[in-house]
Amino acid sequence: MAIHAEPAISTVRNVSPFRTDYTTWKVLAWTGPVFLFAVFVLWGIVAHNMPPFPPSATPEEVKAHFHDFRLPLLIALSICVTMTAFYMSWSVAVARVMERVEGPGGLLSKLEMMGGTITCAPVMVTLAIWLTAAHEVNNLTPGIMHMLYWMGWLLFDLAYFVTSLQIAAISIVFMRDTRAKKLVPEPVIWWGWVTFASFFAVSAIPFVTTGPLAFNGVISFWIAFFTWFFWIPSLSYFIIKAVDRIKAEDEAAGRVDA
Amino acid sequence: MSTLSRPGTVTTSRAVPRRLPGVDGVWVAIGADAVIFAILFGSFMQARLHNPAVFEASRHTLNSSLGGIDTLILLTSSWSVALGIQALKRDLVDRAPRYLLGGVLTGLMFMVSKSIEYFEKFTQGIAPATNDFYMWYFTLTGIHLLHVVFGTSLLSYLWIRSRRRAYSSLQRVVPECVASYWHLVDLLWVVIFPLLYLQKAA
Repeated sequence: MAIHAEPAISTVRNVSPFRTDYTTWKVLAWTGPVFLFAVFVLWGIVAHNMPPFPPSATPEEVKAHFHDFRLPLLIALSICVTMTAFYMSWSVAVARVMERVEGPGGLLSKLEMMGGTITCAPVMVTLAIWLTAAHEVNNLTPGIMHMLYWMGWLLFDLAYFVTSLQIAAISIVFMRDTRAKKLVPEPVIWWGWVTFASFFAVSAIPFVTTGPLAFNGVISFWIAFFTWFFWIPSLSYFIIKAVDRIKAEDEAAGRVDA
Repeated sequence: MSTLSRPGTVTTSRAVPRRLPGVDGVWVAIGADAVIFAILFGSFMQARLHNPAVFEASRHTLNSSLGGIDTLILLTSSWSVALGIQALKRDLVDRAPRYLLGGVLTGLMFMVSKSIEYFEKFTQGIAPATNDFYMWYFTLTGIHLLHVVFGTSLLSYLWIRSRRRAYSSLQRVVPECVASYWHLVDLLWVVIFPLLYLQKAA
């Protein structure tokens, strides 16, 4: 008999023959901050992308940039390509917490997991494109280097709506959390909406090479990226705590196989 | 006297001393939006320092009369929406829709005014790529215009719902959230107008 406030879920969960692996769940939740750390340090600092090399740079300047920083680019980008997968594993952990709000197999939980997973694809491909540019800098013409640099940014930025859908799904579900103390507090949920809104500005990057909307500009880079960079650890903190809270809820309700 | 903390939840005013209008979370979004605009205003001023002559010459091409009218329109709009919330608080449910409609119509007026202004600029051959000033002018006013479009859509939703008597003194969280956002939109314009149209670059 269900004794928790989620009767439909509890009934199904209580008969589950599978054990809930809270430890793995928590480890996956930690991979979000690890992803962010890798992106921030490797892609941002070591690979000299904070701030990005200007979009107004000439092909010769782009080639010189990749030539000058070839070794740090090779090291940072090659590790970062691998570590981008942590965004996917983090998204799985988030989706599982979301399921405890909207029910097992909920549409928005699935959308979140798909959004988080597909976010990895353009990021990984972009990093691989820039890695190729750094690796082949001595064999490629300035025109090709310029094309690879721009191609990376267009892919990296303009695939934003996949991540937007992930963020929207998370925000909607946690807004619907009816617990007296929500698993994810309102400020973090609303910060998600701020991040969602800030992403739209990057749609302008194909059309400008200077100013606030250029891919190195105050809006398209500093605001759009840093709202996301702040959202990931904020949400991760409460997702990690949510795993413990859900475990306690399950134990209190006698749902060892939840 | 009773007050509302969450939709459908009535608590006594003794238990809940004071609360922010709407939900707490919307203030995070409003605060973040204000900070983002503050960063943009700072960046604009920094860009202006690098090229004061171009910014000053370009500023004179803006239609400050139209900018002034826009300011009056948005102040009136905020006032109208504030009256709508007051009406809800006093359970004057029949009055709220007309005030909210006032907010919608003034929002639409702002959009028309901004369209005229942009049309003028484009017919003069002025575009965002013309120089740094116009890049900032179109970016700041364009992002603000998107806020107006979004806010007017939300006010239209409130107007429709309020005509069906969906809101009252005990059910006003959503109108308060939208009104708080709308006041921010007004406040942002009150800064944008002097910054772009009136303030000398050098």
